[in-house]
Amino acid sequence: MSRRGSTLVVIAAFVISIAAAGTAVSNARAVWPDADTYLQANKDAANWVLPARNYSGNRYLTETEITRSNVGSLKKAWSVNVDARGPLETAPIVWNGTMYVTSSHNDVYALDAKTGAVQWHFPYKPHVIAFSANRGVAIADGNVYEGTLDGHLIALDAKTGKLVWNVLAVHDRTNTFYTMQPVPYKNMLLLGASNGDWGGIGYISAFDAKSGKRLWDWKAIPGPGEPGHTSWSGDSWKRGGGAIWNGLAIDPATSTLYVTTGNPQPDFLGTVRKGANLYTNSMVALDISSSVPKVKWYHQFIPHDTHDWDPAMPPVLFTGDVSGASRSLVATGDKGGNFWVLDAGTGAVVYHVAVSTQKGQNTQPDRKGDIACPNTNGGVEFNGGSYMPETNTFYVPSVDQCGLWKSQGTATYVSGQFYLGGAFPSLYGPSTGYMNAIDMGTGKFVWRKHLAFPQIGGALSMSSGLVFTGGVNGDFTAYDAKSGDSLWHYPTGQAIQAPSMSYVLDGKRYVEIASGPAGVNFADPRLNQGAPTLEGSYTHPTSATVTVFALP
Amino acid sequence: MRIMLLAAVVLALHGTASALPPPDDHASALAALADVRASTAEIVRIEDGYAVGHAAYVRAAHRALNALVGRRDDGYVASFGDPGDTIGTLGHLDGMLDRNGTSRWTPAIEGAKANVLAAAENLQSALHEKEMEDYQADLTRTLASLALVAGNASEEGVFGGVRGALANTTLGVPRGARSASACALPAHGPAYGVVAGRLAYVALPRRAASTGIPSELSISRVVVSGDDIVMYTYAARAALAACGHAAMQRTRAVAHPASNAPPFTIGQAHLGKAVYLRSCLQCHGANLQGTAGPSVAGTEFLKSAHDNGWTLSDLRTTVFENMPFSNPGSLTPKQYADVMAFLLAANCYRPGTAPFPQTAQPALAKFKIGPIHAIRPTSRALGTCAVK
Repeated sequence: MSRRGSTLVVIAAFVISIAAAGTAVSNARAVWPDADTYLQANKDAANWVLPARNYSGNRYLTETEITRSNVGSLKKAWSVNVDARGPLETAPIVWNGTMYVTSSHNDVYALDAKTGAVQWHFPYKPHVIAFSANRGVAIADGNVYEGTLDGHLIALDAKTGKLVWNVLAVHDRTNTFYTMQPVPYKNMLLLGASNGDWGGIGYISAFDAKSGKRLWDWKAIPGPGEPGHTSWSGDSWKRGGGAIWNGLAIDPATSTLYVTTGNPQPDFLGTVRKGANLYTNSMVALDISSSVPKVKWYHQFIPHDTHDWDPAMPPVLFTGDVSGASRSLVATGDKGGNFWVLDAGTGAVVYHVAVSTQKGQNTQPDRKGDIACPNTNGGVEFNGGSYMPETNTFYVPSVDQCGLWKSQGTATYVSGQFYLGGAFPSLYGPSTGYMNAIDMGTGKFVWRKHLAFPQIGGALSMSSGLVFTGGVNGDFTAYDAKSGDSLWHYPTGQAIQAPSMSYVLDGKRYVEIASGPAGVNFADPRLNQGAPTLEGSYTHPTSATVTVFALP
Repeated sequence: MRIMLLAAVVLALHGTASALPPPDDHASALAALADVRASTAEIVRIEDGYAVGHAAYVRAAHRALNALVGRRDDGYVASFGDPGDTIGTLGHLDGMLDRNGTSRWTPAIEGAKANVLAAAENLQSALHEKEMEDYQADLTRTLASLALVAGNASEEGVFGGVRGALANTTLGVPRGARSASACALPAHGPAYGVVAGRLAYVALPRRAASTGIPSELSISRVVVSGDDIVMYTYAARAALAACGHAAMQRTRAVAHPASNAPPFTIGQAHLGKAVYLRSCLQCHGANLQGTAGPSVAGTEFLKSAHDNGWTLSDLRTTVFENMPFSNPGSLTPKQYADVMAFLLAANCYRPGTAPFPQTAQPALAKFKIGPIHAIRPTSRALGTCAVK
């Protein structure tokens, strides 16, 4: 009796737990992502909960609906205009049928992912130090988090868009701000600061997602007594740069955080900061298992850079087939036109591929001016690329430009102004781009498309054999992953400087792209930008748009 | 409207003049400061508190406004109470300007008045806001303006505000106090050393020095002379320059007051507007508030300039060396100078006869950039001046 009874109880409990698990799945849609959701993000076709979908930073998904044979009939499902006072660089988050995007001046929008209808809009009025841009929000615990152009970290109620808390998060708000998308990990938000051309020192911080309280900082420039400090002459390290301004990747299995660090400062005057200038222009692997991050390894791509050629591409962790052997790899690319693949465990270089024209790279800018390629916004830009296991190929767009650099004899720090020791270069010659497909078995090109405009839209790859990317002329294109043939394209009419993403809603796959003004860095006289007048109702350009596509 | 009210205030004062001593500018300046403090306190109290309900916020803004404008102004609403005096900051400053011709302290008091008006306009805006965030933004702008009204005792010009005028000019001499020519040290204190409208020092007998120091004096150097303590002001060096070499020797360690009259002509500003339209507008916007690039004129820009301590030389370097961003150095020195003139004019600086120089001049480092409102902004919301 008692045995039978207890068996019944066990069976009943089992049934209930199945039912509970069933509801848990649907409830998970209704509530909010948690630490486990992020770890399992790659298994969730419906949502897109991290900047690049998963902690590995690889914008890749398994897909059967949209294929090489039907991508040609992809149609616009909806589009919505957002604040257009700068380039639209947002990487949307999609959760439970809502898409969260940001504009260049930190406005946050919650959109119905099926129709584009605005559910709420949070306007923000930041003081802009130099460039307006924002790369998106994080979502956790019912909040939406954003780092702002005035150095604040803000939490909004994800349901209503109302401010929950707002903390000043940077150490020096006169020279430091946020453009990066915060990344939730365990109870933390990881966020790197932008200050790499304004005389700051780069750092990435972990904040308590509940309160915004700082948990730790890792500074990219070693101080006196720390390893690497002697790579700086005199006191030059104090304003040494190394901003951790863009993306990151995490290997949760080993608690390793991979970051790429920005250029040294003053950008164009190397004589006042003799030495290799660690850890600028590096990939750094950090052990974040304890309360203080520890450097596991680093690899410096361009020691003592004098051209602002930092590795702008967020790291991508993947397991590739290298000469027949499966290896854990981490990839990045720099503005000097180099694409790098490193061993994820040691930092050893596996591949180094030039993806843009390279000239005059060993000459420091002088006062008369010298020409070097790529231009400061050339090479591999901040949306990076993606790896597809099916083809064992890495897809990465690049910019092909040359620049005329000039240094000044001195560099003077003025808070809130550029700290360059020269000037950003002028474009010299043509401005074009490439879409590159690189075989991870050999490190050689599988195919390369030379395109009329700079390509900085990153890459979204699908196992069905498709790669999506966009150029600053506004063309959003789907390539055949194997051949490089263009299978479909859509002219947005605005500069694409954002990465593409994708989600599934009610059984239908959607593909998203954001486009907007060319902004400070990619203004191109060839783009028709209208005839501005001071007195008129001029806006530049007329709009910034989030566009979503689906099969009919 | 303001002028009419002004006249009313002055008439009222004159009407009772037979019964009262003649108006005292020094006392008016101190009273104006007291009203600013009272107004600021109202704002800080509501901002720091946790008041619930619309009424408390409306009340605070009205009371802050009352202290600034005084009872004769149509912005005054008696039912909310007045933490200041009957005349208000604006009444005091108007009275001082009206009773006097141009004097050494006129620019500072005119600047202070412009900032009182800006503060009052922001408080009026706050009264009409629907969102808490907008109300707080208005109050933040109000506090920024009030800080400029009170000013900085170490500066003589428009940045000095009321404190700077009290600390560095004859406005700092109380009624009935003994003034002496600052070109010589006094035979004995107490004495106020003045020359060319500036206050150079205050001399006090040593035994009185601990208690007799004027409340708004700013001291850049202290010297013991006989039985007296001589406290030099920040304006001492500029003041004693009028006295010749021997007096200058006394001031070697005395700081310069900051000056604010940047060189540019209106003709340059007009030419610079065309340059701006062609080469700058794309990133800095038609209204100069920034799009992809930052704001370059108006309230937000000037606050940032003030907070960062930017000088005209700093801005010149950025514009001449780093702009336009996509093609630095591509304009001619004349075009760069013209666009600098346009930016100064758009920031409400007053044009003069000396042009903005085409080459780097060390003197430009003396001009601090900040919210000065030498000319009343044509755009209240942006704090910019149209260049026409």
